[in-house]
Amino acid sequence: MLAGFPALGTGVGLRPPHYAHVLETWPAIDWFEVISENFLVAGGRPLHVLERVRADYPVVLHGVSLSIGSVDPLDGDYLDRLRALAQRIEPAWISDHLCWTGVGGHTVHDLLPLPYTEEALDHVSERVRRVQDCLGRRIALENVSSYLAYCDSALSEWDFLAAVAERADCAILLDVNNVFVSAFNHGFDPWAYLAAVPTDRVVQFHLAGHSDHGTHLLDTHDHPVRDEVWALYAAAVRRFGAQSTLIEWDDQIPAFDRLHAEARHAAMVAEAACHADPVGDSTAPLAAHHRA
Amino acid sequence: MPTLSETQRLLWQLITAPEGVAAALAADADRGGGLTAALRRTVRDHPPLAAAQRVDVYANMYFFRVLDVLKEEYAATHALLGEVAFHNLVTDYLLRHPPAHFSIREAGRHLPEALVGHGAVAAHPCAADLARYERALNDAFDAAAAPVLQPAALAAIPQERWPGLRFALHPSVRLLACGWPVDALRATVDRGEAAVDPPPAGIQLCVWRQDLTVFHRRLDAEELAALEAIERGASFAEVCLAASAGTPAENAAARLAGALARWLADGWIAEPTPSV
Repeated sequence: MLAGFPALGTGVGLRPPHYAHVLETWPAIDWFEVISENFLVAGGRPLHVLERVRADYPVVLHGVSLSIGSVDPLDGDYLDRLRALAQRIEPAWISDHLCWTGVGGHTVHDLLPLPYTEEALDHVSERVRRVQDCLGRRIALENVSSYLAYCDSALSEWDFLAAVAERADCAILLDVNNVFVSAFNHGFDPWAYLAAVPTDRVVQFHLAGHSDHGTHLLDTHDHPVRDEVWALYAAAVRRFGAQSTLIEWDDQIPAFDRLHAEARHAAMVAEAACHADPVGDSTAPLAAHHRA
Repeated sequence: MPTLSETQRLLWQLITAPEGVAAALAADADRGGGLTAALRRTVRDHPPLAAAQRVDVYANMYFFRVLDVLKEEYAATHALLGEVAFHNLVTDYLLRHPPAHFSIREAGRHLPEALVGHGAVAAHPCAADLARYERALNDAFDAAAAPVLQPAALAAIPQERWPGLRFALHPSVRLLACGWPVDALRATVDRGEAAVDPPPAGIQLCVWRQDLTVFHRRLDAEELAALEAIERGASFAEVCLAASAGTPAENAAARLAGALARWLADGWIAEPTPSV
Protein backbone atom coordinates (compact mmCIF):
# COMPACT_ATOMS: atom_id res chain seq x y z
CA MET A 1 0.00 0.00 0.00
CA LEU A 2 1.23 3.51 -0.79
CA ALA A 3 2.29 5.54 2.21
CA GLY A 4 -0.29 8.11 3.28
CA PHE A 5 -3.36 6.04 2.47
CA PRO A 6 -4.41 4.05 5.53
CA ALA A 7 -7.06 1.34 5.26
CA LEU A 8 -10.22 3.06 6.48
CA GLY A 9 -12.75 0.28 5.97
CA THR A 10 -16.11 1.04 4.35
CA GLY A 11 -17.61 4.53 4.28
CA VAL A 12 -20.26 6.60 2.60
CA GLY A 13 -20.43 10.01 0.99
CA LEU A 14 -21.65 12.62 3.46
CA ARG A 15 -24.46 14.60 1.85
CA PRO A 16 -26.63 17.46 3.23
CA PRO A 17 -29.85 15.40 3.65
CA HIS A 18 -27.98 13.23 6.16
CA TYR A 19 -26.23 15.95 8.17
CA ALA A 20 -28.81 16.04 10.96
CA HIS A 21 -29.06 12.25 11.19
CA VAL A 22 -25.29 11.81 11.42
CA LEU A 23 -24.91 14.53 14.06
CA GLU A 24 -27.77 13.12 16.13
CA THR A 25 -27.02 9.40 15.92
CA TRP A 26 -23.26 9.18 15.20
CA PRO A 27 -23.75 6.00 13.14
CA ALA A 28 -21.24 3.15 13.29
CA ILE A 29 -19.69 3.89 9.91
CA ASP A 30 -15.95 3.63 9.30
CA TRP A 31 -15.41 6.93 7.49
CA PHE A 32 -16.96 9.65 5.37
CA GLU A 33 -16.01 11.19 2.07
CA VAL A 34 -17.11 14.75 1.26
CA ILE A 35 -17.13 16.76 -1.95
CA SER A 36 -14.31 19.24 -1.40
CA GLU A 37 -15.93 22.11 -3.30
CA ASN A 38 -18.96 22.14 -0.99
CA PHE A 39 -16.67 23.13 1.86
CA LEU A 40 -14.39 25.63 0.12
CA VAL A 41 -16.54 28.38 1.60
CA ALA A 42 -15.91 31.07 4.15
CA GLY A 43 -18.16 29.78 6.93
CA GLY A 44 -21.62 28.66 7.92
CA ARG A 45 -23.31 25.33 8.45
CA PRO A 46 -21.36 23.17 5.94
CA LEU A 47 -18.01 23.81 7.59
CA HIS A 48 -19.53 23.50 11.05
CA VAL A 49 -20.96 20.07 10.16
CA LEU A 50 -17.71 18.93 8.58
CA GLU A 51 -15.65 19.88 11.62
CA ARG A 52 -18.02 18.08 13.96
CA VAL A 53 -18.04 14.96 11.80
CA ARG A 54 -14.27 15.07 11.45
CA ALA A 55 -13.92 15.09 15.23
CA ASP A 56 -15.34 11.56 15.32
CA TYR A 57 -14.61 10.02 11.89
CA PRO A 58 -11.84 9.87 9.30
CA VAL A 59 -12.75 12.11 6.36
CA VAL A 60 -11.51 12.10 2.78
CA LEU A 61 -11.73 15.21 0.58
CA HIS A 62 -12.97 14.23 -2.87
CA GLY A 63 -12.89 17.00 -5.47
CA VAL A 64 -14.71 17.46 -8.75
CA SER A 65 -13.13 20.70 -10.01
CA LEU A 66 -9.38 20.22 -10.07
CA SER A 67 -9.63 19.81 -13.86
CA ILE A 68 -6.24 18.18 -13.94
CA GLY A 69 -6.44 17.54 -17.69
CA SER A 70 -7.52 20.99 -18.84
CA VAL A 71 -5.19 23.05 -21.00
CA ASP A 72 -6.14 26.03 -18.83
CA PRO A 73 -3.66 26.95 -16.09
CA LEU A 74 -4.24 25.27 -12.74
CA ASP A 75 -6.58 27.34 -10.59
CA GLY A 76 -4.32 28.79 -7.90
CA ASP A 77 -7.21 30.12 -5.85
CA TYR A 78 -8.83 26.69 -5.84
CA LEU A 79 -5.62 25.00 -4.76
CA ASP A 80 -4.99 27.58 -2.04
CA ARG A 81 -8.46 27.02 -0.64
CA LEU A 82 -8.14 23.25 -0.87
CA ARG A 83 -4.83 23.34 0.95
CA ALA A 84 -6.33 25.56 3.66
CA LEU A 85 -9.30 23.21 4.05
CA ALA A 86 -6.94 20.25 4.32
CA GLN A 87 -4.96 22.02 7.03
CA ARG A 88 -8.20 22.74 8.85
CA ILE A 89 -9.75 19.27 8.82
CA GLU A 90 -6.74 17.00 8.25
CA PRO A 91 -8.33 14.55 5.78
CA ALA A 92 -7.05 11.01 5.45
CA TRP A 93 -6.23 12.00 1.86
CA ILE A 94 -7.35 14.15 -1.06
CA SER A 95 -8.67 12.81 -4.35
CA ASP A 96 -10.06 14.10 -7.63
CA HIS A 97 -10.68 12.79 -11.15
CA LEU A 98 -8.55 11.98 -14.17
CA CYS A 99 -10.45 14.31 -16.48
CA TRP A 100 -10.93 17.89 -17.56
CA THR A 101 -13.92 20.02 -16.60
CA GLY A 102 -13.58 23.14 -18.73
CA VAL A 103 -11.45 25.36 -20.92
CA GLY A 104 -11.07 29.03 -21.75
CA GLY A 105 -11.77 30.04 -18.17
CA HIS A 106 -15.15 28.30 -18.13
CA THR A 107 -16.38 25.02 -16.72
CA VAL A 108 -19.16 22.61 -17.63
CA HIS A 109 -19.16 21.13 -14.11
CA ASP A 110 -18.73 17.68 -15.57
CA LEU A 111 -15.96 15.11 -15.71
CA LEU A 112 -14.89 14.93 -19.35
CA PRO A 113 -12.56 12.18 -20.53
CA LEU A 114 -9.15 12.90 -21.97
CA PRO A 115 -7.76 11.58 -25.22
CA TYR A 116 -5.31 8.87 -24.25
CA THR A 117 -2.32 10.30 -26.06
CA GLU A 118 1.30 11.00 -25.21
CA GLU A 119 0.52 14.72 -25.25
CA ALA A 120 -2.23 14.30 -22.65
CA LEU A 121 -0.08 11.94 -20.62
CA ASP A 122 2.78 14.45 -20.40
CA HIS A 123 0.39 17.30 -19.68
CA VAL A 124 -1.52 15.55 -16.90
CA SER A 125 1.48 13.94 -15.24
CA GLU A 126 3.30 17.25 -14.95
CA ARG A 127 0.22 18.94 -13.48
CA VAL A 128 -0.38 16.17 -10.96
CA ARG A 129 3.16 16.59 -9.71
CA ARG A 130 2.61 20.35 -9.34
CA VAL A 131 -0.64 19.80 -7.46
CA GLN A 132 1.03 17.33 -5.13
CA ASP A 133 3.85 19.80 -4.50
CA CYS A 134 1.31 22.51 -3.75
CA LEU A 135 -0.73 20.34 -1.38
CA GLY A 136 2.34 18.76 0.15
CA ARG A 137 0.93 15.27 -0.25
CA ARG A 138 0.29 12.54 -2.78
CA ILE A 139 -3.25 12.63 -4.22
CA ALA A 140 -5.46 9.88 -5.60
CA LEU A 141 -6.97 10.17 -9.09
CA GLU A 142 -10.21 8.47 -10.04
CA ASN A 143 -11.13 6.92 -13.38
CA VAL A 144 -14.31 8.57 -14.71
CA SER A 145 -17.36 7.19 -16.46
CA SER A 146 -17.31 8.30 -20.06
CA TYR A 147 -19.74 8.48 -22.95
CA LEU A 148 -17.37 9.38 -25.76
CA ALA A 149 -13.94 8.27 -26.95
CA TYR A 150 -11.42 10.09 -29.10
CA CYS A 151 -10.16 9.14 -32.55
CA ASP A 152 -6.54 9.80 -31.64
CA SER A 153 -6.36 7.80 -28.40
CA ALA A 154 -3.30 5.62 -28.77
CA LEU A 155 -3.53 4.03 -25.34
CA SER A 156 -6.30 2.17 -23.59
CA GLU A 157 -7.92 3.98 -20.66
CA TRP A 158 -6.34 1.57 -18.17
CA ASP A 159 -2.88 1.97 -19.65
CA PHE A 160 -3.27 5.74 -19.55
CA LEU A 161 -4.41 5.63 -15.93
CA ALA A 162 -1.50 3.40 -14.96
CA ALA A 163 0.99 5.57 -16.82
CA VAL A 164 -0.24 8.78 -15.15
CA ALA A 165 -0.02 7.16 -11.72
CA GLU A 166 3.49 5.96 -12.44
CA ARG A 167 4.84 9.15 -13.99
CA ALA A 168 3.23 11.47 -11.45
CA ASP A 169 3.75 9.10 -8.52
CA CYS A 170 0.12 9.46 -7.47
CA ALA A 171 -2.42 6.97 -6.19
CA ILE A 172 -5.46 5.53 -7.95
CA LEU A 173 -9.01 5.71 -6.70
CA LEU A 174 -10.60 2.91 -8.69
CA ASP A 175 -14.28 3.55 -9.28
CA VAL A 176 -15.60 0.08 -10.02
CA ASN A 177 -18.95 1.34 -11.25
CA ASN A 178 -17.17 3.73 -13.63
CA VAL A 179 -15.16 0.84 -15.04
CA PHE A 180 -18.40 -1.05 -15.64
CA VAL A 181 -20.23 1.94 -17.17
CA SER A 182 -17.36 2.87 -19.50
CA ALA A 183 -16.85 -0.77 -20.48
CA PHE A 184 -20.47 -0.95 -21.60
CA ASN A 185 -20.38 2.42 -23.34
CA HIS A 186 -17.18 1.72 -25.27
CA GLY A 187 -17.35 -2.04 -25.64
CA PHE A 188 -14.24 -3.01 -23.75
CA ASP A 189 -13.73 -5.78 -21.23
CA PRO A 190 -13.96 -4.53 -17.63
CA TRP A 191 -12.05 -7.56 -16.41
CA ALA A 192 -9.15 -6.68 -18.69
CA TYR A 193 -9.27 -3.19 -17.21
CA LEU A 194 -8.91 -4.52 -13.66
CA ALA A 195 -6.16 -6.89 -14.71
CA ALA A 196 -4.09 -4.06 -16.19
CA VAL A 197 -4.25 -1.57 -13.32
CA PRO A 198 -1.13 -1.76 -11.15
CA THR A 199 -1.87 -3.32 -7.78
CA ASP A 200 0.51 -1.05 -5.88
CA ARG A 201 -1.28 2.18 -6.86
CA VAL A 202 -4.90 1.47 -5.95
CA VAL A 203 -5.75 2.89 -2.52
CA GLN A 204 -9.52 3.24 -2.64
CA PHE A 205 -12.63 1.92 -4.37
CA HIS A 206 -15.80 3.78 -5.27
CA LEU A 207 -19.12 2.01 -5.68
CA ALA A 208 -22.33 3.57 -6.97
CA GLY A 209 -25.47 2.88 -8.93
CA HIS A 210 -25.94 3.76 -12.58
CA SER A 211 -28.94 4.04 -14.88
CA ASP A 212 -29.49 2.17 -18.12
CA HIS A 213 -30.55 4.32 -21.09
CA GLY A 214 -30.58 1.48 -23.56
CA THR A 215 -27.92 2.82 -25.86
CA HIS A 216 -25.63 3.73 -22.98
CA LEU A 217 -25.25 3.62 -19.21
CA LEU A 218 -25.15 6.83 -17.19
CA ASP A 219 -23.23 7.18 -13.96
CA THR A 220 -26.12 8.74 -12.08
CA HIS A 221 -25.42 7.72 -8.47
CA ASP A 222 -29.15 7.38 -7.98
CA HIS A 223 -29.58 3.62 -7.60
CA PRO A 224 -28.25 0.83 -5.43
CA VAL A 225 -25.07 -0.79 -6.69
CA ARG A 226 -25.99 -3.23 -9.47
CA ASP A 227 -25.26 -6.94 -9.14
CA GLU A 228 -22.79 -6.86 -12.02
CA VAL A 229 -20.83 -4.11 -10.27
CA TRP A 230 -20.78 -6.08 -7.01
CA ALA A 231 -19.24 -8.95 -8.95
CA LEU A 232 -16.61 -6.65 -10.41
CA TYR A 233 -15.95 -5.20 -6.96
CA ALA A 234 -15.33 -8.67 -5.53
CA ALA A 235 -12.80 -9.25 -8.29
CA ALA A 236 -11.19 -5.88 -7.57
CA VAL A 237 -10.85 -6.76 -3.88
CA ARG A 238 -9.23 -10.06 -4.81
CA ARG A 239 -6.72 -8.26 -7.04
CA PHE A 240 -6.02 -5.06 -5.08
CA GLY A 241 -6.86 -6.15 -1.53
CA ALA A 242 -9.54 -4.79 0.77
CA GLN A 243 -8.82 -1.12 0.09
CA SER A 244 -10.93 1.61 1.64
CA THR A 245 -14.32 1.48 -0.02
CA LEU A 246 -16.89 4.24 -0.42
CA ILE A 247 -20.56 4.13 -1.42
CA GLU A 248 -21.62 7.19 -3.46
CA TRP A 249 -25.30 8.13 -3.64
CA ASP A 250 -25.96 11.65 -4.91
CA ASP A 251 -29.43 11.70 -6.41
CA GLN A 252 -32.70 10.19 -5.19
CA ILE A 253 -30.78 9.98 -1.92
CA PRO A 254 -32.37 7.40 0.40
CA ALA A 255 -32.60 7.44 4.17
CA PHE A 256 -29.22 7.11 5.82
CA ASP A 257 -30.02 3.61 7.06
CA ARG A 258 -30.45 2.41 3.46
CA LEU A 259 -27.11 3.92 2.51
CA HIS A 260 -25.54 2.41 5.59
CA ALA A 261 -26.92 -1.01 4.63
CA GLU A 262 -25.25 -0.65 1.22
CA ALA A 263 -21.95 0.06 2.98
CA ARG A 264 -22.38 -2.99 5.21
CA HIS A 265 -23.06 -5.08 2.12
CA ALA A 266 -19.85 -3.80 0.55
CA ALA A 267 -17.96 -4.85 3.67
CA MET A 268 -19.49 -8.33 3.43
CA VAL A 269 -18.62 -8.66 -0.26
CA ALA A 270 -15.06 -7.55 0.46
CA GLU A 271 -14.75 -9.96 3.36
CA ALA A 272 -16.03 -12.86 1.25
CA ALA A 273 -13.76 -11.89 -1.64
CA CYS A 274 -10.71 -11.86 0.61
CA HIS A 275 -11.40 -15.48 1.51
CA ALA A 276 -12.54 -16.67 -1.90
CA ASP A 277 -10.81 -18.81 -4.46
CA PRO A 278 -8.45 -16.33 -6.19
CA VAL A 279 -9.44 -17.66 -9.63
CA GLY A 280 -12.96 -16.37 -9.09
CA ASP A 281 -16.09 -17.39 -10.92
CA SER A 282 -18.18 -14.24 -11.00
CA THR A 283 -17.79 -13.14 -14.59
CA ALA A 284 -21.09 -14.60 -15.77
CA PRO A 285 -23.46 -11.83 -14.62
CA LEU A 286 -21.19 -9.20 -16.12
CA ALA A 287 -20.77 -10.98 -19.42
CA ALA A 288 -24.55 -11.21 -19.74
CA HIS A 289 -24.82 -7.43 -19.44
CA HIS A 290 -21.77 -6.53 -21.42
CA ARG A 291 -22.33 -5.42 -25.00
CA ALA A 292 -19.70 -6.78 -27.36
CA MET B 1 -4.52 14.86 -35.19
CA PRO B 2 -6.13 17.66 -33.13
CA THR B 3 -4.13 19.00 -30.21
CA LEU B 4 -5.43 18.65 -26.68
CA SER B 5 -6.33 22.33 -26.74
CA GLU B 6 -8.24 22.01 -30.02
CA THR B 7 -10.07 18.96 -28.69
CA GLN B 8 -11.17 20.71 -25.52
CA ARG B 9 -12.25 23.90 -27.29
CA LEU B 10 -14.30 21.93 -29.81
CA LEU B 11 -16.10 19.99 -27.10
CA TRP B 12 -16.72 23.14 -25.08
CA GLN B 13 -18.28 24.79 -28.11
CA LEU B 14 -20.56 21.83 -28.79
CA ILE B 15 -21.51 21.06 -25.19
CA THR B 16 -22.54 24.65 -24.50
CA ALA B 17 -24.37 25.21 -27.79
CA PRO B 18 -27.72 26.69 -26.71
CA GLU B 19 -29.94 24.57 -28.93
CA GLY B 20 -28.01 21.34 -28.53
CA VAL B 21 -25.29 19.59 -30.51
CA ALA B 22 -27.45 18.56 -33.48
CA ALA B 23 -28.70 22.10 -34.01
CA ALA B 24 -25.18 23.49 -33.72
CA LEU B 25 -23.95 21.06 -36.35
CA ALA B 26 -26.90 21.79 -38.63
CA ALA B 27 -26.20 25.50 -38.42
CA ASP B 28 -22.54 24.77 -39.04
CA ALA B 29 -23.40 22.82 -42.19
CA ASP B 30 -24.89 26.00 -43.62
CA ARG B 31 -21.59 27.75 -42.93
CA GLY B 32 -19.40 25.15 -44.61
CA GLY B 33 -19.28 22.32 -42.09
CA GLY B 34 -15.96 23.06 -40.39
CA LEU B 35 -17.35 22.10 -36.99
CA THR B 36 -18.71 18.84 -38.32
CA ALA B 37 -15.37 17.95 -39.88
CA ALA B 38 -13.57 18.77 -36.66
CA LEU B 39 -15.95 16.55 -34.70
CA ARG B 40 -15.36 13.73 -37.18
CA ARG B 41 -11.60 14.04 -36.65
CA THR B 42 -11.96 14.14 -32.87
CA VAL B 43 -14.72 11.91 -31.49
CA ARG B 44 -15.34 8.33 -32.51
CA ASP B 45 -18.62 7.15 -33.93
CA HIS B 46 -19.35 3.99 -32.02
CA PRO B 47 -22.69 2.26 -32.60
CA PRO B 48 -25.32 2.58 -31.42
CA LEU B 49 -24.38 6.24 -30.84
CA ALA B 50 -22.79 8.57 -33.36
CA ALA B 51 -20.15 11.02 -32.23
CA ALA B 52 -22.61 13.91 -32.08
CA GLN B 53 -25.00 11.88 -29.93
CA ARG B 54 -22.17 11.04 -27.56
CA VAL B 55 -21.26 14.70 -27.17
CA ASP B 56 -24.95 15.45 -26.69
CA VAL B 57 -24.97 13.25 -23.57
CA TYR B 58 -22.58 15.76 -22.02
CA ALA B 59 -24.48 18.75 -23.40
CA ASN B 60 -27.69 17.62 -21.74
CA MET B 61 -25.98 16.92 -18.45
CA TYR B 62 -24.32 20.36 -18.53
CA PHE B 63 -27.56 22.22 -19.00
CA PHE B 64 -29.71 20.22 -16.63
CA ARG B 65 -27.08 20.10 -13.89
CA VAL B 66 -26.88 23.91 -13.83
CA LEU B 67 -30.65 24.23 -14.23
CA ASP B 68 -31.23 21.98 -11.21
CA VAL B 69 -28.86 24.03 -9.06
CA LEU B 70 -30.49 27.30 -10.10
CA LYS B 71 -33.96 25.90 -9.40
CA GLU B 72 -32.80 25.09 -5.89
CA GLU B 73 -31.00 28.36 -5.25
CA TYR B 74 -33.77 30.50 -6.76
CA ALA B 75 -36.69 28.36 -5.66
CA ALA B 76 -39.24 31.17 -5.43
CA THR B 77 -38.08 32.81 -8.67
CA HIS B 78 -38.50 29.44 -10.36
CA ALA B 79 -41.95 29.00 -8.86
CA LEU B 80 -43.00 32.48 -9.93
CA LEU B 81 -41.78 32.23 -13.52
CA GLY B 82 -42.88 28.65 -14.07
CA GLU B 83 -41.00 25.74 -15.60
CA VAL B 84 -40.85 26.88 -19.23
CA ALA B 85 -39.98 30.52 -18.60
CA PHE B 86 -37.31 29.58 -16.06
CA HIS B 87 -35.85 27.01 -18.46
CA ASN B 88 -35.66 29.64 -21.20
CA LEU B 89 -34.21 32.17 -18.79
CA VAL B 90 -31.41 29.76 -17.84
CA THR B 91 -30.74 29.01 -21.51
CA ASP B 92 -30.24 32.73 -22.18
CA TYR B 93 -28.35 33.19 -18.95
CA LEU B 94 -25.79 30.48 -19.68
CA LEU B 95 -25.00 32.10 -23.02
CA ARG B 96 -24.12 35.36 -21.29
CA HIS B 97 -22.69 33.91 -18.09
CA PRO B 98 -21.21 30.46 -18.66
CA PRO B 99 -19.97 28.98 -15.36
CA ALA B 100 -16.46 30.09 -14.54
CA HIS B 101 -16.08 29.20 -10.87
CA PHE B 102 -15.01 25.87 -9.42
CA SER B 103 -18.17 25.77 -7.29
CA ILE B 104 -21.42 25.13 -9.11
CA ARG B 105 -23.15 27.16 -6.41
CA GLU B 106 -21.55 30.20 -8.04
CA ALA B 107 -23.06 29.37 -11.43
CA GLY B 108 -26.14 31.46 -10.70
CA ARG B 109 -24.41 34.47 -9.15
CA HIS B 110 -25.38 36.82 -11.99
CA LEU B 111 -28.95 35.62 -12.45
CA PRO B 112 -30.51 38.62 -10.66
CA GLU B 113 -28.70 41.04 -13.02
CA ALA B 114 -29.62 38.87 -16.01
CA LEU B 115 -33.28 39.19 -15.07
CA VAL B 116 -33.22 42.98 -15.31
CA GLY B 117 -34.66 43.81 -18.69
CA HIS B 118 -35.15 40.15 -19.59
CA GLY B 119 -38.39 39.20 -21.27
CA ALA B 120 -39.30 36.99 -18.32
CA VAL B 121 -39.65 40.10 -16.16
CA ALA B 122 -42.32 41.64 -18.38
CA ALA B 123 -44.94 39.31 -16.92
CA HIS B 124 -43.33 39.21 -13.46
CA PRO B 125 -41.82 42.62 -12.70
CA CYS B 126 -40.82 41.59 -9.16
CA ALA B 127 -38.67 38.68 -10.40
CA ALA B 128 -35.34 40.53 -10.42
CA ASP B 129 -35.87 41.77 -6.87
CA LEU B 130 -36.98 38.32 -5.77
CA ALA B 131 -33.84 36.77 -7.28
CA ARG B 132 -31.66 39.40 -5.54
CA TYR B 133 -33.29 38.48 -2.24
CA GLU B 134 -32.74 34.76 -2.82
CA ARG B 135 -29.10 35.41 -3.75
CA ALA B 136 -28.68 37.29 -0.47
CA LEU B 137 -30.12 34.33 1.45
CA ASN B 138 -27.68 31.99 -0.33
CA ASP B 139 -24.72 34.27 0.28
CA ALA B 140 -25.50 34.69 3.97
CA PHE B 141 -25.72 30.90 4.37
CA ASP B 142 -22.00 30.28 3.95
CA ALA B 143 -20.50 33.74 4.48
CA ALA B 144 -17.50 33.99 6.77
CA ALA B 145 -18.01 33.76 10.49
CA ALA B 146 -16.74 36.68 12.54
CA PRO B 147 -16.84 37.72 16.19
CA VAL B 148 -19.61 40.21 16.84
CA LEU B 149 -19.30 43.41 18.83
CA GLN B 150 -20.56 42.93 22.37
CA PRO B 151 -22.66 45.67 24.04
CA ALA B 152 -20.28 45.80 27.00
CA ALA B 153 -17.33 46.45 24.70
CA LEU B 154 -19.22 49.29 23.04
CA ALA B 155 -20.30 50.78 26.36
CA ALA B 156 -16.69 50.91 27.46
CA ILE B 157 -15.77 53.29 24.63
CA PRO B 158 -15.59 56.90 25.95
CA GLN B 159 -18.41 59.12 24.69
CA GLU B 160 -16.06 61.63 23.10
CA ARG B 161 -14.79 58.93 20.74
CA TRP B 162 -18.24 58.00 19.41
CA PRO B 163 -18.43 60.51 16.55
CA GLY B 164 -15.28 59.01 15.06
CA LEU B 165 -16.21 55.36 15.56
CA ARG B 166 -16.29 53.25 12.42
CA PHE B 167 -18.31 50.10 12.72
CA ALA B 168 -18.18 47.17 10.31
CA LEU B 169 -21.06 44.93 9.34
CA HIS B 170 -20.84 41.20 9.97
CA PRO B 171 -19.69 39.44 6.75
CA SER B 172 -23.06 37.72 6.37
CA VAL B 173 -25.12 40.94 6.36
CA ARG B 174 -26.77 41.80 3.04
CA LEU B 175 -28.83 44.99 2.58
CA LEU B 176 -31.49 45.33 -0.09
CA ALA B 177 -34.00 47.91 -1.22
CA CYS B 178 -36.78 46.24 -3.22
CA GLY B 179 -39.83 47.47 -5.07
CA TRP B 180 -41.96 44.49 -4.07
CA PRO B 181 -42.52 42.51 -0.85
CA VAL B 182 -40.30 39.68 -2.01
CA ASP B 183 -39.72 38.34 1.50
CA ALA B 184 -43.42 37.56 1.80
CA LEU B 185 -43.45 36.01 -1.66
CA ARG B 186 -40.54 33.72 -0.80
CA ALA B 187 -42.27 32.74 2.47
CA THR B 188 -45.38 31.85 0.46
CA VAL B 189 -43.34 29.49 -1.72
CA ASP B 190 -41.55 28.02 1.31
CA ARG B 191 -44.97 27.11 2.72
CA GLY B 192 -45.74 25.23 -0.48
CA GLU B 193 -48.30 27.72 -1.69
CA ALA B 194 -48.58 29.09 -5.22
CA ALA B 195 -46.36 32.01 -6.15
CA VAL B 196 -48.47 34.99 -7.20
CA ASP B 197 -47.10 38.39 -8.23
CA PRO B 198 -47.68 40.82 -5.37
CA PRO B 199 -48.61 44.45 -5.95
CA PRO B 200 -45.64 46.82 -5.82
CA ALA B 201 -44.63 48.02 -2.35
CA GLY B 202 -41.19 49.37 -1.57
CA ILE B 203 -39.40 47.54 1.25
CA GLN B 204 -35.91 47.50 2.72
CA LEU B 205 -34.40 44.29 3.97
CA CYS B 206 -31.47 43.04 5.96
CA VAL B 207 -30.47 39.37 5.48
CA TRP B 208 -27.94 37.89 7.86
CA ARG B 209 -26.78 34.72 9.55
CA GLN B 210 -26.60 34.31 13.29
CA ASP B 211 -24.71 31.20 14.33
CA LEU B 212 -25.86 28.77 11.62
CA THR B 213 -29.31 30.15 10.83
CA VAL B 214 -30.14 32.71 8.13
CA PHE B 215 -32.64 35.43 9.08
CA HIS B 216 -34.16 38.46 7.42
CA ARG B 217 -35.85 41.55 8.78
CA ARG B 218 -37.50 44.55 7.20
CA LEU B 219 -35.91 47.93 7.85
CA ASP B 220 -37.26 51.45 7.61
CA ALA B 221 -35.57 53.77 5.14
CA GLU B 222 -33.65 55.58 7.87
CA GLU B 223 -32.22 52.33 9.26
CA LEU B 224 -31.20 51.18 5.79
CA ALA B 225 -29.44 54.51 5.12
CA ALA B 226 -27.51 54.16 8.39
CA LEU B 227 -26.49 50.58 7.67
CA GLU B 228 -25.45 51.44 4.13
CA ALA B 229 -23.29 54.24 5.53
CA ILE B 230 -21.65 51.74 7.90
CA GLU B 231 -21.11 49.43 4.95
CA ARG B 232 -19.32 52.28 3.15
CA GLY B 233 -17.01 52.73 6.15
CA ALA B 234 -18.52 56.00 7.41
CA SER B 235 -17.86 57.31 10.93
CA PHE B 236 -20.70 57.22 13.45
CA ALA B 237 -21.18 60.98 12.98
CA GLU B 238 -21.54 60.41 9.23
CA VAL B 239 -23.89 57.51 9.86
CA CYS B 240 -26.09 59.81 11.95
CA LEU B 241 -26.12 62.34 9.14
CA ALA B 242 -26.97 59.70 6.54
CA ALA B 243 -29.87 58.50 8.67
CA SER B 244 -31.19 61.91 9.63
CA ALA B 245 -32.99 62.46 6.31
CA GLY B 246 -33.82 66.10 7.11
CA THR B 247 -34.54 65.63 10.78
CA PRO B 248 -32.26 67.14 13.41
CA ALA B 249 -29.07 65.11 13.79
CA GLU B 250 -29.48 64.78 17.55
CA ASN B 251 -32.87 63.12 17.04
CA ALA B 252 -31.31 60.74 14.51
CA ALA B 253 -28.53 59.95 16.96
CA ALA B 254 -31.04 59.07 19.66
CA ARG B 255 -33.00 56.83 17.30
CA LEU B 256 -29.80 55.26 16.05
CA ALA B 257 -28.75 54.45 19.60
CA GLY B 258 -31.90 52.37 19.91
CA ALA B 259 -31.34 50.73 16.55
CA LEU B 260 -27.71 50.03 17.40
CA ALA B 261 -28.74 48.06 20.47
CA ARG B 262 -30.84 45.81 18.27
CA TRP B 263 -28.11 45.45 15.65
CA LEU B 264 -25.75 44.32 18.38
CA ALA B 265 -28.27 41.84 19.72
CA ASP B 266 -28.82 40.43 16.22
CA GLY B 267 -25.09 40.18 15.55
CA TRP B 268 -25.01 42.62 12.62
CA ILE B 269 -21.95 44.53 13.86
CA ALA B 270 -18.58 42.82 13.71
CA GLU B 271 -16.03 43.10 16.46
CA PRO B 272 -14.20 46.41 16.09
CA THR B 273 -11.03 46.69 14.12
CA PRO B 274 -8.06 48.22 15.99
CA SER B 275 -8.93 51.68 14.64
CA VAL B 276 -12.34 51.70 16.39
